[in-house]
Amino acid sequence: MERIQDHPILGRKPQREPVSFTFNGKPMTGYPGEPIAAALLAAGIRTLRKQEESGNPRGLYCAIGHCMECRLSVQGKGIVRSCLTPIEEGMNVFEGQQLANEITGRKLP
Amino acid sequence: MKPKRQLSDLIIVGAGPAGLSAATIAADYGLSVTVIDEFPEPGGRMLGQFHEERGHWWVGKQIADELIEKNRAQGVSIRCGVSVYGMLKVDDMWEVSTSHGAMLAPRVLLATGAAEIPMPTNGWTLPGVMSIGAAQVMTNVHYVKPGKRGLIIGVNVLAMAIARELSVSGVSLAGIVLPPAGPFAGKAALPKENLQLLMGLSHLAPSPFLRLGGKIAKKLGMAGIVSSLFPRGGIKLWDIPLKLRTTAVSINGTDRVESVTLADVNGQGEIITGSEREEAVDFVALAGGLYPLAELASVAGCPFIYTPELGGHLPLHSERMQTPVQGLYVAGNITGVESALVAMAQGRLAAASICSDAGVFGHEGDSKVADAVDEVHRVRASALIQFHPGIPEARRQIYRMWQETFEAGV
Amino acid sequence: MKPSSLIICRCEEVTIEQLEQAYQTGSCTSRQLKMKTRASMGACQGRVCRQLVEAWVHGQNPDSPRDAELLSYRPPIRPITFGQLAKGEA
Repeated sequence: MERIQDHPILGRKPQREPVSFTFNGKPMTGYPGEPIAAALLAAGIRTLRKQEESGNPRGLYCAIGHCMECRLSVQGKGIVRSCLTPIEEGMNVFEGQQLANEITGRKLP
Repeated sequence: MKPKRQLSDLIIVGAGPAGLSAATIAADYGLSVTVIDEFPEPGGRMLGQFHEERGHWWVGKQIADELIEKNRAQGVSIRCGVSVYGMLKVDDMWEVSTSHGAMLAPRVLLATGAAEIPMPTNGWTLPGVMSIGAAQVMTNVHYVKPGKRGLIIGVNVLAMAIARELSVSGVSLAGIVLPPAGPFAGKAALPKENLQLLMGLSHLAPSPFLRLGGKIAKKLGMAGIVSSLFPRGGIKLWDIPLKLRTTAVSINGTDRVESVTLADVNGQGEIITGSEREEAVDFVALAGGLYPLAELASVAGCPFIYTPELGGHLPLHSERMQTPVQGLYVAGNITGVESALVAMAQGRLAAASICSDAGVFGHEGDSKVADAVDEVHRVRASALIQFHPGIPEARRQIYRMWQETFEAGV
Repeated sequence: MKPSSLIICRCEEVTIEQLEQAYQTGSCTSRQLKMKTRASMGACQGRVCRQLVEAWVHGQNPDSPRDAELLSYRPPIRPITFGQLAKGEA
């Protein structure tokens, strides 16, 4: 999605040097300090997770850490809320996946 | 390894309008203060708020920046990106459990604000559907547009205020429509109720709803608000079509929002057969309103009361912002949903109350607190954004109940 | 889509229909419905849907008091790692 460069009321953000990170192995860029969810949205990525049981896609919902819908995996940090976790140079981010279920017998490849 | 412990006179949870206002006053009177917030930067929801009032823009970010600057100058420690997950009274100290260790203080002020009530609609789990607050945060805090073209479902103060912000920020909106009728929307799905709500707002709040009310009044005539007269195509508010006779039936798409099915409704909120059509959008913002976020008050053992005018269940508190739990105070939207200016005044009042209870003012405590109470009244009476017309009376009832329960000289 | 298939609890994908079935079989309070259906028991701990569940329960019996057996809040009220919990430190 489009980034706002010069906000009509709030003006510009301080000059920021972009950082590189990966999402599901794919190289991406974002701004340091901005939440992972914002960088991914700016790159047009909406699906952050698959519901662990049904596999239905989920994206950003509340953006302030209440709903847990945007949780995903960051290498070295485990599962984080992507709306609150600032992006860092070299971060490897992975989408949350549907899980195997011993009780229902669902096996995932 | 021994847990890191930090001792302050006062720990404030929440770095929004109430928390930051309280911190600066308390620090001014000599208390050592630590403010904790989960969000990466301080300011709370003020960071994304702005509205036009009497010809100029009220910009929450500027107010937040001024407060943060003041706090830093006074040596207030503002710790962001720190989550509070519990709190416990040990002897006369609160032990506040955080993601960054336990922190101790004799007094805690909860200024945790509000959370959003969802407006469930078929298809609302699809990526691209978000709470209206999320659209505000993405646009005005992170500077990323929530999508190319969106639709707002739900008509209320929050929806109108954020719709305006999004539009000013250059986000394209297909309109604001009614939520689907059902057990959750209740009266919010009825065209007439919404029209009355908006008229009520325009009457109470001179701006920005004056213009809005004026527009509706011009089209319909002030006397006899008849929803069936409301134009089917909606009216334009600023640049946004407000469609009070249109409802959202479902949000559609395979792995992201592609469209919303809309339909016309009659005065009872029933769908008019054959009026269904699809509106192509790539994001949807759901606006169900706000409720006080008071989990920590509950964990700390504070009793709750149900006050619909203020957003539902809220921690019982006195007009001085004390709770029945010793050393626990509340301020801002946790005490009921009102505007940021009221929250700020409540924060200053809570600080006065805390300093008075800590003995900082000597004999002058009561008069300092009384002044701060008066200021809250003044700010509330002149607030431009009123979330509910019944707030002053609802508050009087809460404080009367408090007096009868705790100050009756048992 | 029937209204009854509307999802109330996003985390656990609980629908109105499931609430209705649970209510018919004797789960009448928010807490009982939570135990029976897992509504409000997921990752957000009801932060999104508890208002909906409570409103729905109240709607079944509009004369009932609003605070009959509300859902409780228990720490940890925010997600933390076992490491943070054990050490009291990040």
